[in-house]
Formats: sequence, structure tokens, C-alpha cells
Amino acid sequence: MLQNLLSPDFFNAILRATTPILFAALASSVASKSGITNMALEGIMLFSALFGVIFSAMSGNWAVGLLLTMAAGGIIGLLLAFFVLNLKTDEILAAIAINLMATGGTVLLMLAVSGDRGSSTSIASQSVPRLVIPLVDRIPFLGQILSGQNGMTYLALLAVAVMHLFLYKTPLGLKIRAVGENKNAAESVGISARKIQYIALILSGVLASMGGFFLSGGYMNMFTKDMSAGKGYIALAASAMGGDTPVGACLVSLLFGAAQALANMMQLTDIPHELIQMVPYLTTLVGLGIYSYAGLKRRQKLAGK
Amino acid sequence: MMKKVLAMLLASAMVVSITACGGNNDDTTAPDAAGEGTEAPAETEDGASDDAAAPTGETYRAALLLNGTLGDKSFYDSANEGLTRLRDELGADVFDFKVEQMGGTAADESKWEPTLLDYCDSGEYDVIIMGTWQMADPLAKAAEQYPDQKFMFFDEQFDFEGNGNPQNIYNILYKQNEVSYLVGAAAAMMTTDETIEGIDPSTKKIGFLGGMDNAVINDFLKGYEQGAKDVDPEMEVVVGWVGDFVDSTKGKDIALGQYQSGVDVGYNVAGNAGLGQIEAAGDTNLYAFGVDSDQASLLPDYAKNIPTSALKNVGNSLYRAINLDLEGKLTYGTTEVLGFAEGGVELVKDAHYEEMLPENIRTTLDELEQKIISGEIVVDTAIER
Repeated sequence: MLQNLLSPDFFNAILRATTPILFAALASSVASKSGITNMALEGIMLFSALFGVIFSAMSGNWAVGLLLTMAAGGIIGLLLAFFVLNLKTDEILAAIAINLMATGGTVLLMLAVSGDRGSSTSIASQSVPRLVIPLVDRIPFLGQILSGQNGMTYLALLAVAVMHLFLYKTPLGLKIRAVGENKNAAESVGISARKIQYIALILSGVLASMGGFFLSGGYMNMFTKDMSAGKGYIALAASAMGGDTPVGACLVSLLFGAAQALANMMQLTDIPHELIQMVPYLTTLVGLGIYSYAGLKRRQKLAGK
Repeated sequence: MMKKVLAMLLASAMVVSITACGGNNDDTTAPDAAGEGTEAPAETEDGASDDAAAPTGETYRAALLLNGTLGDKSFYDSANEGLTRLRDELGADVFDFKVEQMGGTAADESKWEPTLLDYCDSGEYDVIIMGTWQMADPLAKAAEQYPDQKFMFFDEQFDFEGNGNPQNIYNILYKQNEVSYLVGAAAAMMTTDETIEGIDPSTKKIGFLGGMDNAVINDFLKGYEQGAKDVDPEMEVVVGWVGDFVDSTKGKDIALGQYQSGVDVGYNVAGNAGLGQIEAAGDTNLYAFGVDSDQASLLPDYAKNIPTSALKNVGNSLYRAINLDLEGKLTYGTTEVLGFAEGGVELVKDAHYEEMLPENIRTTLDELEQKIISGEIVVDTAIER
């Protein structure tokens, strides 16, 4: 067990499990910063997982497939924004509609494209390759973790930095945060809250679609029915626990990824699997507890001890 | 204006995606008109045994209600294939059937029971066939309301006692433990056979990836373990559970962990999540046995990692049941569990299988299968029968 935990394979498993959650958590954080809970992450990821297979097969190139999938994800984000901001639908209900549509819609679409219902095996899709970093891969142990990950994993970590800079160092990022903090105050200084929230939700859709793309084009090499399997919701929790900041979301996603990888690894031991299945959820609970306790302390401090 | 058009488009797109996946085609296979038109003359062209088939000179008609659709490349296609084979053999004037595809999504669930009751109400069918646990409750209701209607129910135990012992249901189960026994034996022999590419004969470990820890999946596991241990008592079976039947990425990670820990051969019994194990086998150039449908032919990219697949032969079981019923030998009100002896389960033995497994393994598997049929080997079960 210990030997397994210290092997590079385990760390690779953590990064693999973290990547889709991280993309979706970033998607959630940018939406939350603009004041909207994007619960449609699950559906966007599921749709994107299928789109990724279809687009990359059509173009014969994973990069083109990824770009088209991101565009499609953006369109779903736009759709959600249209429901919520123009039609004044409840944001949770609109998201549930999208998620339900994804469950049935992906199967329908897959049937139309490939004639299969369970998985997209007959579609010759392209997956994102592993990236071997020269020199780094020669470092013993660390090299096997730092190098050789899937391209999307590096992209996810890059996205954390980009999103951090975007939200905290650019005027548009400031506007997004301002709208999320207090919509009326932002509008009073001439910011169009609706426009900003549109932008945030589209961006959120794009990020979530990258996570979905990874599921079927890197993690797995095919789309299987309902393969998002709740990762969108886990990401929502990761983002909330991380204070809706990109860096916080990244750290919590890593924690969740590690918990999942640990649970998978523990299945090799004699520990009853019912207990093992609990590990990721237990981690979430404990994490949330610590987070809210820290928040409580901070508020007490601010209130003058 | 733009907004209205967009809103309408959206609305229609949603309606399409909700209704269309139901895919409710009515008459698909059975040429009804032809069947009725040629009122069966008492004599049949086929063999002597068929003479007893149509005692009243009327066509035996069956309705196959699928809580899903054809094209699943598994149970439902198999059921359709078995009934088609029977009709081809007996002639449409002796036996005819109709397939009703009710759709398998959550949105379709609400029409399963009404459809079933409609079919009962029509009184046109000698037997109404359906399967899987989701149809158990609707069936219990229909069987009570229509005591004269006969039903066949496959791949899930029907609770006769809990539903007032209806005498109009014939219940078919499959001995997945028997076919899994062969898979376990095959896996155990493979993992110590250095002539097979990629195998490390030093570790005596084989893998198992289950979906949810329930009685049916455990029945697969029991047979698998027993088969492996009968071949080599030291064989260790590493068991992983996904926790559901859809999370293929999790299935892949668990399976990768197994392969990295020295497992060479696995067995996936986890629905779509099991595809993760097959991909993991592909990534590590090792092996995983398929289940429920011929996965080697369904997944050509991974065929080199799938020696063969374990099947429940729903088609065979229906073929057998209706033949027995035509002869008046089928006992309704009972549950039958079909194994190798009755053709209820099978291991796919095609050219691919012969290519993947060395001859000595194949010969042993044939011998083991014969021993199971003759009763010399009794395979343990996780299901109380």
C-alpha cells in the first residue's frame, strides 16, 4: 500500500482525476464571481465529451476538435445566460434542464452519428497526446510526474494562472467581480451587469467544455453514456470550498483528485469497499468543515474578537 | 422578433431531444398482415416434432416488449434474434411475434406500464415477453389484472410469493456464475502462460471490475473466483468496485491500479464503466474479458486486448421456452435458471477467440464446460434460488 502511494503512478492518477474537476471548478468560480451559480457544468461537460469525440473525428485533429468543442461549450453557456438573464428563468432550474437534456440528448446524438447507444466506439476520435518535456523527464521520480502528463492536464494548470490574472489583474475581471459583489452598485457606475454576466457564463461554458473534452479525449478515448458521472457537481463544491477563486479551486480540486485516486488505490487492499467509496465524500465533508470553521474564526476576528 | 424565433427554436430542440430518444417505432419486424392472412393449415412443413406445435390450427403469437430499443447489441437484440430464428424455422403461420420498443430513458418509464396493459387488453397475444428488473413491478400488476394472459420474464428474479403466486408467468434467469467460471479458469491459465504476449507469469493475480456490489454481479464474481482457484488454488482475484455502471473514467483508474499491481488479465462486469477496464487493458497492453455482448467485435480497436466475452443468451432461452410452450411442456408460475446445459449462457468461441487463446487453454475450457453440463462441476452461486 505504502509502496503504491509513493509510486509515480499514484501521483499521475491524482493529476488525471483532478484535471476534469479543475476545469469545471474554474468554470464554476468565474460564474460565481459574476453572481450566478452555474449548475449546468455537469450537462456542459457531458455534451462536450460527446462533441469532442465527434469534432475531433470529423476534423481528424484533436486541436481543432478541442477548439470546436470550446465554441460549443461557449454556446451552451450563452444559452444558459439567455435563459437566466433575458427570460428570467431560475438559474438552478435552467441548469437542471440543460443537465437533463445532456443525458438524453447525448445518447440521441450519438445514435444519429454512430448508430450506437452505449459508447462511441465506432467513431474514430482523436485524443490529446501525452506531453513529454525534454530534460525534465530524465529527473528521477519527479520527472515521471512533471513530464508525460496529458496535454489537457498542463492546460488546466495553465488555465488556473490565466484565470487568476484575468479575474484580478484585468479591467474586465474587476467588472465581473464588481457585478458579483453588488449588481446595483456596479450598474450605478455604468457597468452593464447583464453584459458582464453574459461574458462570465460564456467563459464558464468554455472552461467546462474543456473538462468535458478531456473525459473522452485523454482520460478515456471514447465517449460512454453518462460519463461525466457527477464530476460537474463535485467541481461546484470544489469551487465553493476554494472561495470561488481560481487558486483556491485548484487546491481543492487537487484535494478531491487525491481523495479519488486514494480511494481507487485502496481498492487493492482488503479494506471493505463500502468504506473506501466514502473517502472522496468524507474528504469533502471534512474540507467543508475546516473551511467554514476558518471562515467563522475570521469573521469573529473582524468583529473585534 | 429574433428572440421569439430563438426561443421557439430552443423549445423545439428540447422537445425533440426528449421525445426522440424514446424512439417509439411500432411495428418493426413482424409482418402482421401476412401472419393473419394465412390462417394456419394444421400441417407444417418442418420436422415431425413441430406437428404438435399448433394444436388448434391457430398461430402462436408473442409480443416482445422492450423497455429500451433494438440496437443495444446485447439482451434486446439477442431476444429479437431468438424469436426471429424461431419464426424462420416454424413458419409465420405457426409462430409469429411483434416487437414493441418502449424506449429506455427515464422519460419513457411512464409509458411502460400502460403499454403492457394495452397489450394485455388486446388479448391478441398468446404470450407477452419482457425482461430486466425495471419491468418487475408493471408485470406484477398486469399478471394480477389479466390472470388469463401468459407472460415470460427474463433476466430478473420474479417475486412469486410476494405477488400472490401468479400462475401465468414463466421466469427465466441465467447462470452467469457458470459462464464466469470459464472466464475465471481462462484468466488464471492466461496469467501464468508466458507464451501469451505481455503476460508476466510470475504473479498469480487476476482482476475483476464490478459495477455495484449486488447479488447478480457477485454471482459473476463467485463463478470467476471458483474457476480461477480450480485451475490454480494460489490464484489471487483482485476485486474493484466502481460504485455505479456509468463512471468509465473511474473504472479505468481502478483497473489501471490493478494492472500496475501485477494483474495481467481482468474481467469487466460494470456496464459502461467496464469500458474503462478495457481501455486500461489497451493502455497497458494486457487483457480484459468482455461481458453481455461480444465486446471484441464491438470494440475493434481493443479486440487484441479482449480474448472473448461471456454472454447470457436471451435469444436461446426464449427460443427454448416457446418451443416448450408449443409442445405444452412449459410450466408457468415457476422460475428456471438456465446454464450451459440449456444454452442460456455461452462463451463466445469464434475465430478471434481461437487466435487469442492457445490451444491447450481452449481444450481445457471445453472440458470444463462439459463437466459443468454433466454436473461434475457445480458452480457456487451468490443468488439464493
